[in-house]
Parts: sequence; structure tokens; C-alpha cells
Amino acid sequence: MFNGFSHSVMGASHEAKNIVCQDSSAHKVHDKYAICVVADGHGSKKHFRSNIGSRCAVEATVETIEKFYENVDEIEANLPTNSKLIIRNIEKQIIANWNVRIMEHLVNNPVTEQEMAPFTTMEFEAIPPESYYGTTLIAAVIGRNYTFGLQIGDGSLVAVFDDAWTIMPMDYEESNPANITASMCNSNAASMFDSFYKRDKVPLALFASTDGLYTSFGSDNDFLDYHTILCSQLGDLTNFEPSIIKNLQKRSHFGTEDDISLSCVFNNDLLAAKQHVVDAKVMENRERAKTRKNELMRDMHKQRNEVVKRRAEELHKR
Amino acid sequence: MSKDNTKGYSGLLDFDDDDPLNATAVSKKSLVIFFLIDTSGSMKGKKMGELNTVMEELIPEIRRVGEADTDVKIAVLTFSTDVRWMYSQPISIEEFEWARLRADGVTSMGEAFKELSIRMSRGQFLNSPSLSFAPVIFLMTDGYPSDDYKAGLKLLKANSWYKFGLKAALGIGNEANDDMLAEFTGSKETVVHAYSGGQLAQMIKIVAVTASQIGSKSMTLSDENDKELQDEDVFAAKQTLLGQQIQELVGNQNDGDTVPFDTGW
Repeated sequence: MFNGFSHSVMGASHEAKNIVCQDSSAHKVHDKYAICVVADGHGSKKHFRSNIGSRCAVEATVETIEKFYENVDEIEANLPTNSKLIIRNIEKQIIANWNVRIMEHLVNNPVTEQEMAPFTTMEFEAIPPESYYGTTLIAAVIGRNYTFGLQIGDGSLVAVFDDAWTIMPMDYEESNPANITASMCNSNAASMFDSFYKRDKVPLALFASTDGLYTSFGSDNDFLDYHTILCSQLGDLTNFEPSIIKNLQKRSHFGTEDDISLSCVFNNDLLAAKQHVVDAKVMENRERAKTRKNELMRDMHKQRNEVVKRRAEELHKR
Repeated sequence: MSKDNTKGYSGLLDFDDDDPLNATAVSKKSLVIFFLIDTSGSMKGKKMGELNTVMEELIPEIRRVGEADTDVKIAVLTFSTDVRWMYSQPISIEEFEWARLRADGVTSMGEAFKELSIRMSRGQFLNSPSLSFAPVIFLMTDGYPSDDYKAGLKLLKANSWYKFGLKAALGIGNEANDDMLAEFTGSKETVVHAYSGGQLAQMIKIVAVTASQIGSKSMTLSDENDKELQDEDVFAAKQTLLGQQIQELVGNQNDGDTVPFDTGW
């Protein structure tokens, strides 16, 4: 019933600097639900193990959600009335699970002299060990007639419903250019999650992505349209998957040069039944994009013409 | 199932035109340069004439800064009795045409700061997902504000785009108050002063081009001990670098036109 894919591509800038990819991604498909998850390791100086931190984050997330779903019928029966509490408990458990994993990694792999070299002793001692592994996280679950998701830090989640309505159910935070983002390594991480639960519409597909994908677009409309197109091609996933990877590489290379991760889960049977709806939406979006572009160009040219006219009048007066 | 740390694609990129995913374009990294320009009555005459001429010449120079890597956009806010945007949204440098400004009225700089603070947000002028650089904000004025600029500046200072933006200011003539301009930029090093037409042209070009170059660079700066700086420190370091480069370039300039503004204009 459910299917999915997940890919992480290395950012062009990381490749140039010979830095490992800081992103991780995963998806897990079960009979009655599926999970998509991505994590974006911070990658800066004090987060020198954030590639491992992001891997621990996706593994901790899949494991935690699977534990909550050990009795699928029970959790699905409880979600409509207790979604906030359940999601909050999942978030807390993910943080706890992540901390166990990174601490285990630290015990088995003590910090090396090479890793400490960029710091003075005082500087190094001031860094909390969990910061070495700092990462963001976005995860979502698709069920037969509901979906929910959770997020800490930047990145995007897009949901496509059975009428091809495509939205970002969690608002992209008003980020500032300093790229300061909430993180799994924050001491109050469990209280920093955003989440959503939706059951009034039937989900077709969910896409979680790290911010490298979002920032390769010129507008939110383009970003959402891209996901509707992705959705329209999922019926032939085997043949389409190489195109997805290629496109992510292109977006990193010609966009912000950041790592990009994309994880998707979708309802295969429902998609087969609704393929015509999604295809029609793609066509409609294409027309709307043309109209938006034309309106923007018309508006800009109108203003430019006024500027040129005013300038000509001034020159004439002089 | 986990696919982490996949090796990146390093070969030539060969993309199929029929790929449906190519329907949505890839956006380059983008940068918005804000010019805040005093168009009050005291700017009337040669000051405004010179400023208009320099700005027209400047656009092609900034165009070269962005080139292939960065999509540079320009937004011009003028302030006199009213505040007014030259265009209703930031315009790509490729499309930008300078509209010659006229001077009249009083100096509502506080209102300009408020207006800038409103527009510098994701919901307004900085709404492009591809906006990866902090904005460059360049203030030019020849006098003291006639409104409560401190209230406007307080609002602006709470805006995170302003906090991390590259700020520079140009005082024109004897009446411009460099201390007040340093309040706006956060340091005296990023304030320059022009006392003549020749200097005005030089200063505008130095500040605008240098700020655009630094603003559009993806930098992992090093501190004085050659150690990598934190992400959060890079923005402060960029501002410091801007001050250093401006002062260095200003120090190397000739006086050019030696007729002072306040006698010549």
C-alpha cells in the first residue's frame, strides 16, 4: 500500500572543501503507515560530528516511531483525541533516543586530537558534548486517512492530499540570514519542536527535505509546484528515482551549493486511483505559474517604463 | 533503508530537457541591496544632481559584482516629508533603471527606518526562498533627521535582517552628523563623508561596490589567529571587514573635485 524513497546528495560547496555530507535521510514503509525523515547536521566548527548526529537523528526517529506504532490500531484510535500528547511524547522520546546514540558513539569514539586542534583547551571544554553532533530533524508519518509531522530547526515538510492540494503544514520559520536554527543539541530541544496532525483530508504523499532544497527555489509557489510534479511521477518510481537524484544534484550545484536531502512516503494504491487528479493539478499549476510570471513582468515593465518616461521628461526640461 | 552521507556528484551535469522536474527553475543565491536616500530640500541642486548621476553609473558596476553566482536585487527607499520606494519591490539588477530623484521637504529618517523594518521580512521584500545573503543597507543623507529617528532605529534594530545585514552610511556636506550615522551602522568605520561632488561620486562607488562584494560572498572567515569563526560570528566579521576595506579605500582616494559642497552647492 505504501512506498517511498530517500536520498541525500552532497552540496557542491562541501564537495569543493572536501567536507563529508552533513545530511542524512531515511524512509520506512509498513502495511498501515510509513515514515519519512531527514536531518541536516549543522556542519560548523563546534558541531564537528554533525554528520554522525544527523544519522543518529534519523535512526532514532524511525526506531521511536516504530515503537509507538507497535500496536498500530491502538495508536490510530488514540490519535484523533490525543494527537498533541502523543506527538509530544514521540518528540521527547526521539530526543532521549538521539542522546543515547550520540553518547554511545562518543564513548566508543573519544574525541581525537585532530578534532580538538581547532580549539584552545578552554574553548573545547566550554562545548557541551551533544553540540559535537548538532543537527536539525524533520519527520512525518502517513497513515490511511491521517498524517502528522514534527520538526526541530529549519527544513520543509510538504503534504499532497488526494485532491492534489499541496501544502507546507508546518510554517517555515521566519528565519534570519545568520542561519541560527533550533537544534537537537539544544538543552531544551524537546520544547523546541513544531508539529502538526491532520485527519480531515486523505494524504497521498509526504515529502521531508532539508533547507538546501527549499533555498534552491525562487518562490514558495515554485517549491510547492515542484512537489506536485514529484507526486505525479511516483507511480513509476523505479524509473523516476534516477531523475530525482539528478535533479537534487542540479539544485545543489546551481542553487545554494548546500547538501540536499529528500525523503518521501506515499500511498501507492490511492495514487493510482488519483493519478488523473494530480496530473490535472500539474497542468493547472503550470498555467498559474505562467500567469504569475506574466503579471510580475508586466508590473515590473510598467514601473520601469514610468521611470524611463520621467527621466526623459527631466532631461527634456534641462 | 537509511541513505546517509551519499557521495556527491562531481562529474559534468547532463540534464534531460524532458525531465518534468526541470519545469521549476533553480534559483541562484540572492542578495538585496537597500539604498536609503535623503531627498529632503537641503539635497536640492548639485547634491541631488550628482547623486543621480553617480547612481546611474553605479548600476552597471554592481551588475558585475553579482555576475554568474548571485542574483543581486536593488530596492531604493527615499525619504523627505514622505517615504517612498522607487519600485514596489526589489528589482533584479539586470532589469533595474535608476529613476532620477528630486529633492523637497523635511528629513523623515525615522519614518524611513520604520518602513525599512516592515519591508525587511520574509512576508514582504525578503520573501524569496533563495535569499541566502544578509542584505546590504546603505544610508545617504546630508542633514539631521527632522523626526524621531531613534524610535525608528529602535524598531529597525529589533529586525534580524538588519542585525545581520551589512550597514554603511554616507554623510554629505557639513551638516551631516557622523555620530548619528554611526548609530545606524553600528561603527564609525562604516561611515564615510563627502564634502564635494568629486568625493560624493567616489564614496558612493566605494561603499556600494565594496559592500556588495562582501555581502555576496559565501565566507567562512578566519579571525586574527587564523581560526575558523562560528556561523554567528561571520556576520559581525563581514561588517568589520567592510569597515576596514572602506577606510582603506577611502584613505587611498584623491580629493577629486575640491569645491566643498557647502560653498559649491
